[in-house]
Amino acid sequence: MSEESLAGLAESIRARRISPVEAVERCLARIRKWDGRLHAFIRLDEEGALEAARALEADAAAGRWRGPFHGVPLGFKDLCHLHGLPTSCGTRMPEYFVSAQECSAARRLLDAGAISLGKLNMTELAMGAYGDNAHHGDVDNPWLAGHAAGGSSSGSAAGVAAGFFAGAIGSDTGGSIRLPAGCCGVVGIKPTYGRVSRAGAMVLSWSMDHLGPLAWTARDAALMLKVMAGSDPADATASRRAVPDYAAGLEGGVAGVRIGLPENYFFEGVDEEIGAGVRQAGRQLEGLGARVSEIRVPDPRAMTDVAMLITRAEASTIHARVFRERPQDLQPVVRARLQVGFGISAYDYLQALRLRAKLTRAFVREVFAEVDVLLTPVIPESPPALAALKTATVDEFNTRAGRFSRLTRPFNGLGLPAISVPCGFTAAGLPLGFQAVGRPFDESLLLRLGHTYQEAAGWHHRRPLVD
Amino acid sequence: MTQPKENQVELANMAGIIERLAGELALGEEPARFIAALEGLPEDEGGDEVEAPRDE
Repeated sequence: MSEESLAGLAESIRARRISPVEAVERCLARIRKWDGRLHAFIRLDEEGALEAARALEADAAAGRWRGPFHGVPLGFKDLCHLHGLPTSCGTRMPEYFVSAQECSAARRLLDAGAISLGKLNMTELAMGAYGDNAHHGDVDNPWLAGHAAGGSSSGSAAGVAAGFFAGAIGSDTGGSIRLPAGCCGVVGIKPTYGRVSRAGAMVLSWSMDHLGPLAWTARDAALMLKVMAGSDPADATASRRAVPDYAAGLEGGVAGVRIGLPENYFFEGVDEEIGAGVRQAGRQLEGLGARVSEIRVPDPRAMTDVAMLITRAEASTIHARVFRERPQDLQPVVRARLQVGFGISAYDYLQALRLRAKLTRAFVREVFAEVDVLLTPVIPESPPALAALKTATVDEFNTRAGRFSRLTRPFNGLGLPAISVPCGFTAAGLPLGFQAVGRPFDESLLLRLGHTYQEAAGWHHRRPLVD
Repeated sequence: MTQPKENQVELANMAGIIERLAGELALGEEPARFIAALEGLPEDEGGDEVEAPRDE
């Protein structure tokens, strides 16, 4: 297994072929070389990482292994609170985002032996689909300079693609794990609502927020999710369901798995190259034994509207203080989105929550009676040029961003697990990706499908920024 | 908070969408049933009884 994957690196450290200090130094060398362009980090914790690596190296020498990630360098989106490091949430006001509660998901990875390289860039307050950030620098696409890395977990995806760390935590309220994963050609999974505790992570919308891993392969994501998931006394919404050993089932293949390609909505208005890439991935999965058919799904527009309204109302409630006290320090596009939320009535918000329950029940019942997995594009257009985004007015920018996340946002409303998997490249050299969506808590099947596809297609053997 | 004109249009659009969709909600529908749907809990309460229009 290649040391470029998290699984391979963990195995090499365990076999003493590479030490935790060497692993960190390799990452730091790549960060020094490339992060001046990518801007994946908001705060690189070089000293902290090396100190942790030295301690883990001593532990390894003494035969003390902390867990499956012993010595593996990871990165954390800068909305994960970690003791000893400030949390900016993509703003320039970290003093507004102080928490005694550490991010439970990040802490679990660190307790399993992982090393934190620091805090990762993101769009301001996790409100944005492209990964631009006026305060900390726009995150650049590792595959094609000057193009969006996707947001809001932009640093997480770009950093994984660039080999800055073996995996990262992202958050996803409307697509913020899957969009940057799709733009940067890495795997990202938004688990079922409640599968991973959100304790200790900035809230954007408590009804729509999900935390999940971004990694180079589905196997790496499976390993991370196993550690991150599970009940948590600090988060009442975290499910008490047992967490499966996701990696154990990866080799099961896709024979007999019923895959549905939606006839409506998900391929409408999508770039030809992107639609063709996803359909080609469907044919490859069919060749591996899956049963692929077309399916008409309940119109996702209703859930998209409902999810957007709920998110806006909750985001404005959560961030009211910073909006009122420091509006001039927020980017205009973020300020404009927050302002709308203050005008949403309690009646509309509560009806939206009731509608969400009804729409979810109907979608789960109708779709999963016919198929096991939905296969769709992740993004409707290739990652745009950053320069083109800069010329848009606030209204144009937010309208375009809304369109960019229209294929992912329905599944935040529905709470269903959804994975983004790379499936090739555009003629311009930017990544293509598909989104696979499953039944509630069926992350195992999505990871198995992703792994089976990656092993057959082999796209993960290509990397950007090769030395 | 006073909303700019473009926000007022957006808010009115959102309210219109909710009003149209909510006409089909059952009396027993409530937000907690979202979690029940994910956790696979039985769908007995709430039924399919549709609310009377609000102005009746």
